[in-house]
Amino acid sequence: MGTIRMDRRLFLKTAGATAGAVAATQVGCLKYFKKGRSSAADSREIPTTCELCPNKCSAIAVVEGGLIHKLNPNPENPKSRDMLCARGNAAIKQVYDPDRIKQPMIRVGARGEGKWKPVSWDEAFDFAAKKLSETKDKYGPQGTLWSSTEGFQEKFFVNLGQAFGSPNIVRHPTLCLASVNLAYGTTFGTVPSFDLLNSKYVIMAGANRFESIITPDTMDLIGSVMERKAKLVYLDPRFTVTAAKADEWYPIKPGTDMAFILAMINVIIAENRYSKDFVSAYTLGFEQLAEHVKPYTPEWAEKETEIPARDIVRIAREFADAGARALYYSGRRSSWYQNDFQMRRAQAILNAIVGNWDQMGGMVPNSTLPKGEFLFMPWDEPKAPRVDEVKTEFPLAAASDGVYLKLRENVLANKPYPIKAWMVYKQDPMNALPDQSKTLKMIEQMDFIGVIDVQMSDMAWYADVVFPESAYLERTDPVEVMPGIWPAVVYRQQVVKPIHDTKPNLEISQGLAKRLGLSDYFDYTIDQWVEAEFKDLPIPMAAEHMKKHGVWAASGQPKYGATLTPDHRFVTKSGKIEIYSDRLKDAGYDPLPVYTPPVQPPSDRFRLILGRVGYFTHANQSNNVWLHEFMPENDLWINPVPAGRLGIKNGDYVNVASSVGTVKIKARVTEEIRPDCVFMLHGFGKKSKMQSLVYNVGASDAVILETAWDKVSGNAAFHETFVKVSNA
Amino acid sequence: MAMKKKRYALVIDSRKCINCKACVVACKAENEVPVGNFRNRINEERKGEFPKLSINFEPEQCHHCEEPSCVRVCPTGASWQRKDGIVLVNYDECIGCRYCMIACPYDARYFNEEQGVVDKCTLCSHRVDRGDVPACVETCPSKVRIFGDLEDPKSRIHELLSTRRYKVKEPQTGNGPQLYYLL
Repeated sequence: MGTIRMDRRLFLKTAGATAGAVAATQVGCLKYFKKGRSSAADSREIPTTCELCPNKCSAIAVVEGGLIHKLNPNPENPKSRDMLCARGNAAIKQVYDPDRIKQPMIRVGARGEGKWKPVSWDEAFDFAAKKLSETKDKYGPQGTLWSSTEGFQEKFFVNLGQAFGSPNIVRHPTLCLASVNLAYGTTFGTVPSFDLLNSKYVIMAGANRFESIITPDTMDLIGSVMERKAKLVYLDPRFTVTAAKADEWYPIKPGTDMAFILAMINVIIAENRYSKDFVSAYTLGFEQLAEHVKPYTPEWAEKETEIPARDIVRIAREFADAGARALYYSGRRSSWYQNDFQMRRAQAILNAIVGNWDQMGGMVPNSTLPKGEFLFMPWDEPKAPRVDEVKTEFPLAAASDGVYLKLRENVLANKPYPIKAWMVYKQDPMNALPDQSKTLKMIEQMDFIGVIDVQMSDMAWYADVVFPESAYLERTDPVEVMPGIWPAVVYRQQVVKPIHDTKPNLEISQGLAKRLGLSDYFDYTIDQWVEAEFKDLPIPMAAEHMKKHGVWAASGQPKYGATLTPDHRFVTKSGKIEIYSDRLKDAGYDPLPVYTPPVQPPSDRFRLILGRVGYFTHANQSNNVWLHEFMPENDLWINPVPAGRLGIKNGDYVNVASSVGTVKIKARVTEEIRPDCVFMLHGFGKKSKMQSLVYNVGASDAVILETAWDKVSGNAAFHETFVKVSNA
Repeated sequence: MAMKKKRYALVIDSRKCINCKACVVACKAENEVPVGNFRNRINEERKGEFPKLSINFEPEQCHHCEEPSCVRVCPTGASWQRKDGIVLVNYDECIGCRYCMIACPYDARYFNEEQGVVDKCTLCSHRVDRGDVPACVETCPSKVRIFGDLEDPKSRIHELLSTRRYKVKEPQTGNGPQLYYLL
């Protein structure tokens, strides 16, 4: 019955004994801690911040008898809107997972064989420090690679890599949203939020917001659409939950989104429906755009997208008529195609010409809140250039985040210099990167691999030493400001003491730093760090407030239109919103988005597309017993027409083969996908035996995905793989 | 009967349900429901041929009926109903005969193998009694379920049921189900 044991009758009795205030069902900034909720005598309620995915929702942990009993949503966070999703609720099982890494471990067998020796923290630190120092002596500090994914404690890991002297820090954006960030940044000088709470007309392409949950967008949009405040037009090759809830769904031909957008711009300009005042006051390059989109007619786009021209014309008109409250939604995991940056640029331009910038119901530049900073000793800039050659290959990309797939290519080729040690924090490159065989080759090439993680991911399974990190409910983390239309500050504090011999990442980084002679850079505790951050928060008694409430947000309505003044300078070269971009032209890219038709799969192959469901979004969630119940195994969606042709029946096992690998997976013959593509969920077919629910169950998309990236941002292009499907 | 009468019920706006399962996991944690058993669920109805398709989601749990057949058939009186309408199982009295599971028109009950008793949604009576809403109601991203007291004319569910069209499931059973689905 799980790890939380309590006599049910006693529980009901104690819980029933206390009467409380009136139930509140409304959504909004309610005050959780005025309600006086705690019931049982040994029950405590501790506010914290969820870490099951990157949304950072505010939660209240109910602790009874020293065990986490329940996580309730905290209504005081305007971004998480008084909700906690299935993943958030299941975080309890991350702590009490029998598969957890319970102490540091050093590999004794071959890599990936799964033979481990439990060791003390001292042994683990000494071992890693020795290996890192050896690599440094032989290859210089640049011979080490530090890769991590986002999280409140990621900065300590990044700092350690930098203090060590390595230029090779690679973060998650080029596996996620680098292209959308760069495209909107290039156009507007900043990446805005989308005011779905107040929008009247939303076009969403592939972003599947009702399954791929992003706060507050998911909640705002479902409310707006179902209460008939907004119309939702949804494009996706797959009939997702978002498609089911949308007013209109178009199963667009994969990879042709840009044709649809350019044709919309064509109609809006040809019919004079753009916002003339806004365009003339705030934008640059409209004339070039008008000329540029002339060939992109709705009739032309119909042939590309398979969306009828008359619908494109009508949607363009409706969109322009909604004007400032119309949104072409940007999406978030924008790692789709090799032209992804330019497609997102086309979206940004479409949004710009209807004048939805900084308007209620439109795109709104993020507000932020001040926060104190802990000042620590700075280190010297690394001397060597980055191994992924970002500066020369991707001059516009965010160099500090790196370009992951280019990096892997260069590491495999020892170009421009060898990388021989790999430190990983909280990331699973075995599943997060396409083409697992290449990642395995990269692993083979390493003299040393160290992984810091809460669970034994596939990457940890191949490591030489594993440092078990405490789960988020066992840690206090740095304070985070969450910019947005409704900005908030959130705080994650320890809910229960670590149940195993684990440490927070700061202490792991400090343990390594000490042995690498870098202690001076890490001469602080988490409490000192957090106290410094509390200092500049715009709240009286900030520390007390954050510890009691876990979150703070300004009350009142968002401020719209702050950037709409004659003297406002956008953070672009010209100071205007750049429809036509000289910066792109100078860097050798198209200054306006040029459409190139995607290569289509040959008749015996399918395009593999990826996506999410609401209860699994990341590979680190599939071994959670409360989520795994909903989907014990992933499957391959295939339309009945090609399935019939290939003799594949629902539930049959099939082989799915690309140029880089083959997986065996169960077929789900369904009408809910176009006949020219197949779909599978991420996070199954694990190699780690300490992911026991999904070890060797289902298949990992990483095995068959081919390596491709967006030309401008370097973002991985995950929808460029063609696969052959046959009965297994 | 000196106290003001209460009648708890749920109004469900299924159209807002995105099948994210937050309610199912929240229930699991709050009520320590064993893995493999569920006190609430989301029914799915998928229809059509590409590209004319539809999916409907419909959350369901115990309907806390007016005339609960599970209570009627229970040979020991373990299944019982509170004055406020909440149907519960007294685990001390339950002999695990499972007649109630057969009698329930909504498949809302399960047999807890470990404890040898039948179990079901309690409408989080322990939370309700201290003034909170059930866990499934609270955690929902799109606030599909609305909990309240039908006897309170100022309650949101009272307002919804007097202004909106709705249905109940299997009304012909005479059970008088108290899960109201908005149309």
